[in-house]
Amino acid sequence: MVDHVLRLKLALLGSAFRPGRTLASTLGVLAIAGAVGSGLVIAALHADLSNPSHRAAAVLVPVIVSIGLVVAPLAAGLGSALEPRRFAPFPLEPRPLALALALAGIVGLPGALAVTLAISVELVWEDDPARTAAVVAGVLSVGTIILCSQVLVALAAHLAVTTTARRAITSVARATIAVALAAAAATLALAREVDSTTRDVLVSIAEGVGASPLGLLWAAPTVAAGEAVARLLGGALLVALLVALWLFVVARLLEAPQRPLPPSRDRGLGWFDLVPATPAGAIAARSLLYWTRDSRYRAVIVALPLAPVAMMIALAVAGSPLPPLWLLPLPVFALFLGWFAHNDAAYDHTALWMHVAAPLPGAADRWGRVVPPLVLGVPLILALSPLFVLWSGVDGSLPALIGISVGLLLTGLGVSSISSALAAYPAARPEAGLFDQPPTLGARAGWSQAISLLAVLALMAPSLLLAYWGLSSPEWYPVAGIAGAATGVGMLLLGIVVGGRLFRRRAPELLDLVLRT
Amino acid sequence: MGEKALSPSGKAAPSGRTSKPPARPNAKKPAATKKPAAPRKPSAKNAAAARVAERKAAAAAAAAAAAAPREVVLDVHDLRKSYGQAVAVDSISLRVRKGSIFGFVGPNGAGKTTTLSMVSGLLRPDHGTVLIGEADIWKSPTAAKRKLGVLPDRLRLFDRLTGSQLLYYCAMLHGLDRSTARSRTDDLAGALGLDGSLDRPVRDYSVGMVKKISLAAALIHSPSLLVLDEPFESVDPVSTAQAVDLLRRFAAAGGTVVLSSHNMDLVERVCDTVAVIVEGRILASGSLDEVRGTGSLEQRFVELAGGRVAVEGLEWLTTFSV
Repeated sequence: MVDHVLRLKLALLGSAFRPGRTLASTLGVLAIAGAVGSGLVIAALHADLSNPSHRAAAVLVPVIVSIGLVVAPLAAGLGSALEPRRFAPFPLEPRPLALALALAGIVGLPGALAVTLAISVELVWEDDPARTAAVVAGVLSVGTIILCSQVLVALAAHLAVTTTARRAITSVARATIAVALAAAAATLALAREVDSTTRDVLVSIAEGVGASPLGLLWAAPTVAAGEAVARLLGGALLVALLVALWLFVVARLLEAPQRPLPPSRDRGLGWFDLVPATPAGAIAARSLLYWTRDSRYRAVIVALPLAPVAMMIALAVAGSPLPPLWLLPLPVFALFLGWFAHNDAAYDHTALWMHVAAPLPGAADRWGRVVPPLVLGVPLILALSPLFVLWSGVDGSLPALIGISVGLLLTGLGVSSISSALAAYPAARPEAGLFDQPPTLGARAGWSQAISLLAVLALMAPSLLLAYWGLSSPEWYPVAGIAGAATGVGMLLLGIVVGGRLFRRRAPELLDLVLRT
Repeated sequence: MGEKALSPSGKAAPSGRTSKPPARPNAKKPAATKKPAAPRKPSAKNAAAARVAERKAAAAAAAAAAAAPREVVLDVHDLRKSYGQAVAVDSISLRVRKGSIFGFVGPNGAGKTTTLSMVSGLLRPDHGTVLIGEADIWKSPTAAKRKLGVLPDRLRLFDRLTGSQLLYYCAMLHGLDRSTARSRTDDLAGALGLDGSLDRPVRDYSVGMVKKISLAAALIHSPSLLVLDEPFESVDPVSTAQAVDLLRRFAAAGGTVVLSSHNMDLVERVCDTVAVIVEGRILASGSLDEVRGTGSLEQRFVELAGGRVAVEGLEWLTTFSV
């Protein structure tokens, strides 16, 4: 049993070295682990226990590194984790399996690093009377680390039913490791400082940590002999408890390997329960759902803030005065958010037939589609405008910034309502990856994109001009704001009415377009 | 064959023809008992008798229809569609009367889907008119589409929605209110065996499940005319039987169904009127008995579709290499 599982573990480790995509990351991880291990040993060899800073670091660094090691197996992703649930299909006794898995936990990088950590701590205390305490603490700590991480992996694999949850666990573990390594490095760097304030801070932190459960074992060599024995006994008890927990977890997971999805809460319909029970409401809910779940929309939500940032950098590099530039990001963001919907109907792909086959007012379709950008954009503009005005240092420009941004967004949505019915072009399929484009994009796409963007700018040109005058005479700012917002509202309403008619009339042609892609 | 599954109550409650809801031993389908059973629906002692009774009933219905023609629900006149040089649909005219289940059969690429798409307002014809009741689907689409339930073949659904969200969505698009949408969702899910799957995203459904939820989506606004393109493709026999049951009840209550299928057996079992379309033309249409004559529908179909071509030039296929 034990040797079978160990052989499996070795095979898994070996497979990471097979040439291919994983090899690079394997080598990277190995390099990091090598650096950590040798760093620990070197630091231990340089430790001088007569120096209070070094004594403090000798407690702090092992505690920090231990935390990182406990979560380390999670960071590799749960996909290939050797955890009890995987053995559920086989007729195995839980006890030997628990032993085998715990031993397999030592084999591998986290186990090797835990052993290295224990050895380094021993090296630190080698010439000290507390050496025995350090050795025992090291052994118990290795056991604690391995058992804790095994239990964590088993529970995480059990709980992470969805891919999202699994990914979240992996990223949290990786972040924890990164923070732990950074903290350990910082502690080592601080321990070299001769400054007394730093030393006092370090010592007091070490005392706090040493008194806490985290420092139960690693701080044992620093305390009086009697307390050290008590601590070590506590540590042994902890290991025993963890062994019992581990046995229980393994037995439990072998019996009930399946974790059913939690029963759905009263058949809720999500967004659909929050919107009015009208065609436009339902389409809005469906659009919101797609904006939040479909990778094509999500990519845009991620990319949109980048456009203004890139523009800022370009302008700053070109030598424009920086503070007034802070007035630009929001309008640019609003412009592109409104414009993005210009091909929205094609994003439905052939599911568009549901809208075509229903006796649906065209305006309802258009209204539903503009809701997600509106609920995303308008609150964002209102919330961020004061901040950007503050940074820009341009007094009185707040009404203009709000009005122009809202105007650009709404005008963009109005234009999009028309163009997505009139000038649709093939879009990426719903299941397509982020960077997939349909093969027959053609010149039509370019025209459609360019003309809709230019149309928004042209319609907003008067308001933009007013806002520009405001730079020299601030009394124009309120006027520009009102003009911008009014243009936006007007163009949105017009766009929805005209776009609705066009959608109704051209629905079969739109369907034909998506059928051919 | 499937007839047994069609009337599971037959053996358990041989009460002959009845118009009150039959006591169904099968408690898994509570929705099935909610609506009154069709008067025409057989609950005979065995499958063969059921079939005979049904044919008689169908014949009687056809005779009655001949005597006093029921109103025309779908009137297609001179429909044409061509893609470039290729003529997909060449001057098709047909009439479907109220209460009938009309089967549209034809070989692959005969123009079934094209015709049904034009009938349901999804594809603009080059020429011709489609009247749903009084309303021209291309001139007054809203009035026509209100009466129409559509199940297109191979078109996507909004498959990130869960089953119940999708049905609710469809109901909303057709202007239903919230509580109606909810209760009909539950009824249809029960009747079509979708109960356990409504909370899963439609993209996780199998092909047959997608067909079933599409059928539910087509029915949810209680249309008077259903246009179903290959509704039973890759649907399992039990679900097919359930769906057929549903369609029969729908037709008996005055609804009208137009469906296309490759499955001649099924068409023979389900439909009372059929049309055979080959290369964009209707070669035969009328009541089931008129079209099939003395043989089976399949024989007639193969005959109309050009007969069996003697397989030549494939001698190598029979020379097994040693």
